[in-house]
Amino acid sequence: MFFAAFDLPSAPASAGISWPDVALSFFAIVLEGAPFLLLGAIISGLVDVFLPAGVIKDWLPRSKTQGVFAAIGAGLIFPLCECGAMPIVQRLIRKGVLPAVATTYMLAAPGLNPLAMFSTFLAFRNQDPWLMVVLRFGFSFLVLLFLGFWLVRLRPDQMLRAETLTGPVRIKPEMTPNPGLVLTPRPGQSLGGLQQFTGAVIRDFTGVLLFLVIGAAAAALFSTGFNRGLLAPVGQNLILGPLAGILLAQLLCLCSTTDAFIIAAFAPFSVPAKIAFLVAGPLIDLKLYWLYRSAFQARFVHALWLRALAATFLLTLLYSLKP
Amino acid sequence: MNDRIARQISFFAPAAVMSAWATVMFHTIASGHINRLLSPMFRNYVLLAAILLVVLSGLYLLLYQPDSETAPAVAPTGRLRQFGRWLMLLVPLVAASVLSPTALSSTTAGLRGLDSTAGVTPMPSWNAASQKSAQDALAADPNQPVPVEVTDLITLSRSSEQIAAFEGRKVRTVGLFVAQPGSGPKLVRWIMWCCAADAIPASVELGGNTSGDWKDTQWLEIVGRAHFPSTLGHVVPRIDVESITPTQEPDEPYLSP
Repeated sequence: MFFAAFDLPSAPASAGISWPDVALSFFAIVLEGAPFLLLGAIISGLVDVFLPAGVIKDWLPRSKTQGVFAAIGAGLIFPLCECGAMPIVQRLIRKGVLPAVATTYMLAAPGLNPLAMFSTFLAFRNQDPWLMVVLRFGFSFLVLLFLGFWLVRLRPDQMLRAETLTGPVRIKPEMTPNPGLVLTPRPGQSLGGLQQFTGAVIRDFTGVLLFLVIGAAAAALFSTGFNRGLLAPVGQNLILGPLAGILLAQLLCLCSTTDAFIIAAFAPFSVPAKIAFLVAGPLIDLKLYWLYRSAFQARFVHALWLRALAATFLLTLLYSLKP
Repeated sequence: MNDRIARQISFFAPAAVMSAWATVMFHTIASGHINRLLSPMFRNYVLLAAILLVVLSGLYLLLYQPDSETAPAVAPTGRLRQFGRWLMLLVPLVAASVLSPTALSSTTAGLRGLDSTAGVTPMPSWNAASQKSAQDALAADPNQPVPVEVTDLITLSRSSEQIAAFEGRKVRTVGLFVAQPGSGPKLVRWIMWCCAADAIPASVELGGNTSGDWKDTQWLEIVGRAHFPSTLGHVVPRIDVESITPTQEPDEPYLSP
């Protein structure tokens, strides 16, 4: 069986890349993502102004373990897309939510939310939809538990950029999108509510937008230039199929409410390959890598990337190799 | 003096960038280019975001003021880095809005699976009520072409009963002309879920006389007979062309399920 797994047909030849199409795809991705990022920044601003830190702390369980379950549960109930999540998660951390709990929620919300499950059912309505929903949900849940219990063992300073913990006020001015925005409350006055809200929204929006732009550029390049047919020959392979699904998810950078429609249509892929695609994509991909870098240290994001993909691969491989 | 200018630029940069984003968004909507970028569901969000960005820019200018002269100046290297960040927010967006073409190319169609019909999803007009739509089409005057989308023909090709009913039927459809080396000419429509980055091509083969000075990805209206030949059990719809007419890009260049 092992050798049969590597009995691969040859891949079709690759073609060139259309740079105007990369520009079109990039433009489409940033226009699609920016409104959700702005929505996230507005919610973040509202949390900053109207939600005292103590209230959030009172809502959350004291234990880290319970916090992980609470975060995954919140991901189930509160739909939040990948782009909108970043400003909110950063704000919650500054308001005193444990970084591990906030990060688990950030990872859980896109993939586990009801919209993603509903779209999975719709996309696979002619291909055993309940199996796909159960596998997507179950494997996502297990990977999130694994990641959550890894996260609670980390110290905040091992995960977060300095400014995520302290806010931009205490760091070097040149590291903030605009030092004037932070340093100029009117003389003798404290920041008013509207001023504080406006400042928070603009700072969060422009701060994360930079990473959305970089991530969108990477996503546009690969989603346009990568020959999807190259993965087709390995899509049915017992071992390489899940890897191909994970790789495709990393390159295409799709939203969690859309990804099921794209992969359901990808006939060369086996069920484990499709599940690997659906579980890995909402956790991390090329675009999310850059978005995560807006709040987290590079080393942490690399470790998260490795663990998320390894856990997804192992689970889907086990499913693939089941008798 | 330089420091003063730098402080002014630093102050106005957020408002300028947000206004520029809003302007690009408004222009994209007003010019109709947004139809080539996003599915209908997302377009209103862009409009709303553009309005909010204008409001935020205004509030920022009203509520904030430039750094005072007494505030410590940012080091020149830090200032450059800061300006670089603002340019990163501005230049790629403006460049993409100018450089993005009116349609995805045949190169990208090839990379995204031009020859596969597996990804084609039934469109609303032929979806749940496809049987009725098909019956209505068949009940019409057989000498008049049935208006169909490329995707409708692919949907029909998945049912042996529909194939039998529609074989040889005269149809009229609109799509992008693509003729790649090594394969015959095709008529293509893109299916978009969220945005152009996730669009996948749906195509039917064109048979018969397709001669003409057609450009790659030119919009054409085709009238011809629908056929559903099977190769190794895989049915690929084909239109045997009777007439080809160059046509305008439809209001909705992509099909959205």
